[in-house]
Amino acid sequence: MSNINHKTYAMNAITPMKSWKTWIVRAFFLILGAVKPLQKDLVQLSFIHFARWVIIKRSKFPHADSQQPEEKLKYDYLLFFSNFNGTWNQYIDAFSAVLSTGLNLIWHWSEKFPGSVPVTPFKQYIARCQFDTDYYYTAYPYATTNDVKAAHRVQDALDAFEKESARKTAEEFARSYRKFVLAVQCDLGQTGKAPVGT
Amino acid sequence: MSKLDATDIQGIVLRGYNLPFARYLFLEIADAQRGREFIGKLLYRITTGEHWDEGKPEWTLNIAFTHKGLVNLNLPDASLLSFPVEFLQGMKARGEILSDTGENAPEKWDSIWREGRVDIWLAVNSKAKTTLDTLGAELQRVVDETGGAKVVGVQDAGSFWIDGAWSSKEHFGYTDGFGNPDYLGVERDTQPGQGKLLADGGWAPLATGELLLGYADEAGELPVAPIPHLLASNGTFMVYRKLHQNVATFRRYLEEKGKLYAGGKEKLASKFLGRWRDGTPVELSPDAPNAEIVKDKLRNVNFTFGNDSDGTRCPIGAHLRRTNPRDAFGFNGRLVNRRRITRRGLPYGPYVPEDQPVEDSGEHGIIFMALNASLFRQFEFVQQQWVGYGNDARLGNDKDLLLGNHEARDKHMIQGTEDPMNPPFVCGGLPKFVELRGGNYFFLPSMTALRMIAAGTVDPR
Amino acid sequence: MANQSGDVYGLTILSPILQDLTAETSHNCAIRMKLASMPGDESSPFAKVSSTHMARLVVMDDVVYVGMPSCEEHLKSQYLVFETNFDGELDEYLTRMAREIPADVDALWQHCWGYPGTKDVAAFIAYMKKCQITTTFYFADVNNHTVQETLTALQTQAAVAEFIERNQGKAAAELQIAFAHFLEKLRKAPPPVPGRPEKGGPPRIETNMKWATRNAANTKQVTPNE
Repeated sequence: MSNINHKTYAMNAITPMKSWKTWIVRAFFLILGAVKPLQKDLVQLSFIHFARWVIIKRSKFPHADSQQPEEKLKYDYLLFFSNFNGTWNQYIDAFSAVLSTGLNLIWHWSEKFPGSVPVTPFKQYIARCQFDTDYYYTAYPYATTNDVKAAHRVQDALDAFEKESARKTAEEFARSYRKFVLAVQCDLGQTGKAPVGT
Repeated sequence: MSKLDATDIQGIVLRGYNLPFARYLFLEIADAQRGREFIGKLLYRITTGEHWDEGKPEWTLNIAFTHKGLVNLNLPDASLLSFPVEFLQGMKARGEILSDTGENAPEKWDSIWREGRVDIWLAVNSKAKTTLDTLGAELQRVVDETGGAKVVGVQDAGSFWIDGAWSSKEHFGYTDGFGNPDYLGVERDTQPGQGKLLADGGWAPLATGELLLGYADEAGELPVAPIPHLLASNGTFMVYRKLHQNVATFRRYLEEKGKLYAGGKEKLASKFLGRWRDGTPVELSPDAPNAEIVKDKLRNVNFTFGNDSDGTRCPIGAHLRRTNPRDAFGFNGRLVNRRRITRRGLPYGPYVPEDQPVEDSGEHGIIFMALNASLFRQFEFVQQQWVGYGNDARLGNDKDLLLGNHEARDKHMIQGTEDPMNPPFVCGGLPKFVELRGGNYFFLPSMTALRMIAAGTVDPR
Repeated sequence: MANQSGDVYGLTILSPILQDLTAETSHNCAIRMKLASMPGDESSPFAKVSSTHMARLVVMDDVVYVGMPSCEEHLKSQYLVFETNFDGELDEYLTRMAREIPADVDALWQHCWGYPGTKDVAAFIAYMKKCQITTTFYFADVNNHTVQETLTALQTQAAVAEFIERNQGKAAAELQIAFAHFLEKLRKAPPPVPGRPEKGGPPRIETNMKWATRNAANTKQVTPNE
């Protein structure tokens, strides 16, 4: 399954937009980018490593050679690329359940977008607009974004503990160690294979 | 919403009978016509959701079908193909998804499940043990009369009689039976904490469509259901899993680790499940069991994890927290509302008191039965993502201690505090406490659908 | 900077693919065949360009027609989409691609219009930038750690979990000594390899799973690459 590399799924989607609507989407992203709380939900859901939206104006498809035929398009296009953990259904269910306002603001301007609630027509639309990945690489296939964040917390805690516990008596060390364990106790999940199937 | 027609719905869907004895008969259909005749003769005996004005009946009877069973009854192809994919495939084929591999793989199952022979599940629940035999004989008579089906397996189950009363304990000593969800329209003794969490901290029943087909679910849609509408409506899907319990292994593990854990053996046991073995929710009383809370309907299911995000009261990986995270994932619990199931199971095998010897090879286990409108979105999701895996709880690949299909590195982390009686503690070297011995997915039709199936009048349009 | 989030750069490149109706294998098929043969794990060319967190290559055949009343339209060329998330500057990354994995890059992009090859790095960079589309909005959950820092942290996490378990209940003096050894071993551990599916951490001793039949003879050394 080339869309998946162990724990991460590479989703690609393209939707057409009437040219005059494109600036609205850009404006919304400007606000999303500037206003941290809206991003807070994405971070709380914590199953996306990296995601991006890319607007291509109809006249801006790359033209790399004079011989290459020029694109003549009516619509602008909104490309979406996501690197997420979990199954396709789980991902879309979650977005529909808790992020529908944000999603609607971005995709409302795409042709025939049915809204992110109810979820079934939303899934059908995505299935229509999704195109499959041919090749996918991730540097840490056995780790989800939760695992990565937990790992960094453990590394930071270990570094701090190492400094702090140098040249201590055994009893002092043991006390510091207990504090260290408390600091990392929520972040010790093992990494490994992804659950099978969607 | 309009009131549910309880007489059209099989009783076991709407209520846990709380009758102490159960016998499950598994049948294989001989041929379609005689099979339909057989079902027809059972119709008037099937227990519905009707109100019991005169108290509990002596016995109840319910019926469900695997997909193969419906095929063997010659339902029209268009109807058969309209069932959800996971039901069509059956539980055995879904093994990779459910982690039913290794010791839990079909090769280890009881033969009727391994060979996929079960078409019909007939469940008798009764007040007295002798009733099981009487009714069993009665059903056998109908089987013989019609020649429509053959009994290929029988499974007895039942509550334990402990200290002069019926208990809801299971073989590991935990008190079971809490936490079944409330649904809109289903009459029940509602307790706060059973439903879904509201923004103001209160609780409300879940949408009817999380349990029953033909009604709106928590996403405001009708769950995937077979056609025609009358076949599906008021029906539901059931998971049946025979879970063998390695009681000796569990007791030994608890004993050994209990000596190393500062809080002691009983507290350790509470940290596995999320309830003390008497039923006290750990979240409400992490330091000691509390019989008052157990008895108090307003409290024994009424808690959230919002103030316990680092698991120092109820460990993040505790069974109860994994299977119903409540508000643990934020968003006021909205990500959990479509992942609830209703449990109807019972233990099987004789109860062995703690101070008596017991073998892993003994017949001890639990018949796990869960009802939900969507096997894929509810049971399978919880089993795969929350029991056999831990990413949503930020626990990586860590599995549920009790149910997980454990491998070499598996552990259960108990988060702790500075309190020497509540230390952080790693439960490592997890053995397999529970092993799957078989089961399948069943469709529990409404009475209307049952009559249509018996009459052979299912019409997919 | 729309293409950047913290220290991570989100590069989006759409390279128009050549069309040759006389060719036995079309260019986009050739690209797909090459992609199918490229490994996705530690042998991936992107593991070599080790600042890559995640990268994908997609042959985009056409735009999508969503149904009436929208108009149906088609692209005149197919595009090779390259979406990558990496540490550092764009020029540096493209230079690494040209210098470290030229064979793979050529094998793919030779099928695209105006591709100058990897020998002239400046020309290569100019070509890629010509095909680059500015990311409108880029979200990176973790954007302040390099690939190597992340891999090291994952290795540390597994090692710490194992240490805590193994040394549970030990007396203070013993614990202190064990920890010193642990740190030494961790510092000496070989740097983790990008792209490799592995659980990380030092070798484990596996014990027989069913306690009822556990005995000392049933221990087996488990290697990390499992």
